Amino acid sequence: MTTTSAPPTKTPDDTTQEGLGARALRVLLTQRIALLAVLIVVVVVWFFVLDAGGYLTASYNFDYMSASLINAVPLAMLGLAELLVILSGRGGIDLSVGAIVSLSGMVFGFAYGEWGWPLWLAIVVTALSGALLGAVNGFLVAYVGFPALIATLATFYAYKSLAIVINDQSPISTPPIQQLFSITRSVELPLFGQYVPDVPLGLFTFLLPTVVVVWVLLARTTYGRRLYGIGTNDVAARWAGLPVRGTRFKAYTYAGLISGFVAVVTVAQFASARPDAGVSGNGMALPAITIAVLGGVAITGGIGRVAGVVLATLLIVWLNAGILLAFVGNEGSQYQLLALGAVLVFAALLNGLTTRRYGGTT
Amino acid sequence: MTVTEERAPVRSRSRILPAPVTGQELVLIGVIAVIWAVLAFRTPAFLTAGSIQPLLVATAPIALIGVGMTIVIITGGIDVSVGGAIMVCSVLTAKQLVAGLSAPVAVLLAVVVGGVLGLVNGLLIAYGRVHAIIITFGTANLFLFLGLQLFGSRTVNGIPATFEIFGRGDEGRTLGIPHAFAITVLITALAWWYLRHTAGGRHFYAIGGDAHAARLAGVRVQRRVLLAYLLTGLLVGLGSCFVIAQGTSTLDQSVGTGKELAVIAAVVIGGTSIMGGRGSVLGTLLGALLVQSVTSGVTQLGWSSQLSDLFVGVFIVVAVGTDLLRARTRRTR
Repeated sequence: MTTTSAPPTKTPDDTTQEGLGARALRVLLTQRIALLAVLIVVVVVWFFVLDAGGYLTASYNFDYMSASLINAVPLAMLGLAELLVILSGRGGIDLSVGAIVSLSGMVFGFAYGEWGWPLWLAIVVTALSGALLGAVNGFLVAYVGFPALIATLATFYAYKSLAIVINDQSPISTPPIQQLFSITRSVELPLFGQYVPDVPLGLFTFLLPTVVVVWVLLARTTYGRRLYGIGTNDVAARWAGLPVRGTRFKAYTYAGLISGFVAVVTVAQFASARPDAGVSGNGMALPAITIAVLGGVAITGGIGRVAGVVLATLLIVWLNAGILLAFVGNEGSQYQLLALGAVLVFAALLNGLTTRRYGGTT
Repeated sequence: MTVTEERAPVRSRSRILPAPVTGQELVLIGVIAVIWAVLAFRTPAFLTAGSIQPLLVATAPIALIGVGMTIVIITGGIDVSVGGAIMVCSVLTAKQLVAGLSAPVAVLLAVVVGGVLGLVNGLLIAYGRVHAIIITFGTANLFLFLGLQLFGSRTVNGIPATFEIFGRGDEGRTLGIPHAFAITVLITALAWWYLRHTAGGRHFYAIGGDAHAARLAGVRVQRRVLLAYLLTGLLVGLGSCFVIAQGTSTLDQSVGTGKELAVIAAVVIGGTSIMGGRGSVLGTLLGALLVQSVTSGVTQLGWSSQLSDLFVGVFIVVAVGTDLLRARTRRTR
């Protein structure tokens, strides 16, 4: 960034004499996971108190919190897609994820709804189409050298347009697609299910596998270490002999792959393959980038963790769920915008402050 | 001080300023000419005043806000909140027009409101020292909230024709030239001169090239960055008046949606580097004109209007791609 030109200054006696309060503050500011965990507790307790006081239109309880987790599925998955792309550095960002969701959702609509392919094959084809669209981004950014913002802005326009034109602006909602709504239902967990609320099935079929795979990819594979390497210092990584271009290319491809799976979830949620599913209103890319930044992913690359993104999603989902109960009608969705914007600006300013005072977050 | 725009030092030392009209801008003029020629060939009614004038009017708000966006991007920043800012400015102004405000005061109101929103962005970015795209994603949501609250779940109805001097009708033209477009060209020309021939203007390029070096050379980086977002906000205010003038007597919640990407697309197609330090407002005007020509061309040819976005995407890739290739051949030469 251009405006941050002064290097972070550290006072030498910063760490020697530190009280308990100062240490707690430092942990909260430098450990994004700790901060998010505290914020989640604050938000949930706050809404429980509001609920007890009778200020909400419906009960905010564990059942409601569990049911609202269905909203976390697309949000967290796209947040993880942005995590991969932003980690790759050199201004990495993907504005096109929402448009990829729309376009591969239409592919799914055709394959499963119109042509009657088996479900597993339709899902595989949809995911692959997402990966292909992501690979176009990756090719432009990693091999041709486009700034990521420009490449994904261009593909956002192109995919969005194609998704709408491909079926002449109309959604696909044939009977097989409509029956798909059942995969978003809530189920009772086995063994100890009667003691905890029912949980949306999509959490286990889509979100959990994605979280585990991305975590393993980042924390336990050579590829993950390379991705952090090129994100931290592109030139150093090249001199260290890393395949910089291939690594960055794959990050965008994986982001597209995840968006392809999100397309299946979205089609099931709407019970219809809508051509504007991922781009209507504010689109899906902005919330996903917000989640990633809130989760402590540095926009400059090389810093960010899966746990941060997951916790940030939980915070936003439960905050939004509460806001919906606190306001009547349209007001609720408007205050969700306010909350999202305020939280993002707050998190960004906090990142800046932390960098100057403590030399960065982890 | 000398701020050279091109990274290749040997070739640019002979000339401090780039050419008044760059190669990319000439190519853009050529492409627009080709599109107009094709459209004129397909639909003979295209090259008439009745068809060109609405095109110029529709180009005006994007090109006008694009002037501010160009300066922001030259400093190495970006502003994705202009869509939300347009909504706030236009709903507030439209409501006052309904209440019977006169045109000059209404324009002033819109510009001041836009300026305040731009100031918020500028203060957060310049003094909060956070990456511009993050802050403006955040303020985009805040502005959207503000705009929707002002709407209050209703459309603004019965807007009087106070702004018809900026509109498509006969009142909006002098000697056949739409006022909105003339104002846009005038402001573009002023900005072109300011960016090219004044020290203050060159400072924006210096910041985009290397903010740290600019600071060491005596540029007040934070104030300049603040100014860039403030200017964008002021132009959003004026652009919102054009948006109201182009609309019907009803303003709904979709106003401003997606405009931030349209403006950024116009700037990028115009040859301004998203990495900062290079670009011109003339290119942005041409970029906006190209995008609008494609949009109206697609409808005139009877294709789905959604197809125009595909062309915008392709134009962005081609414009930036050729620029990248040129830079590569410059380096290897």
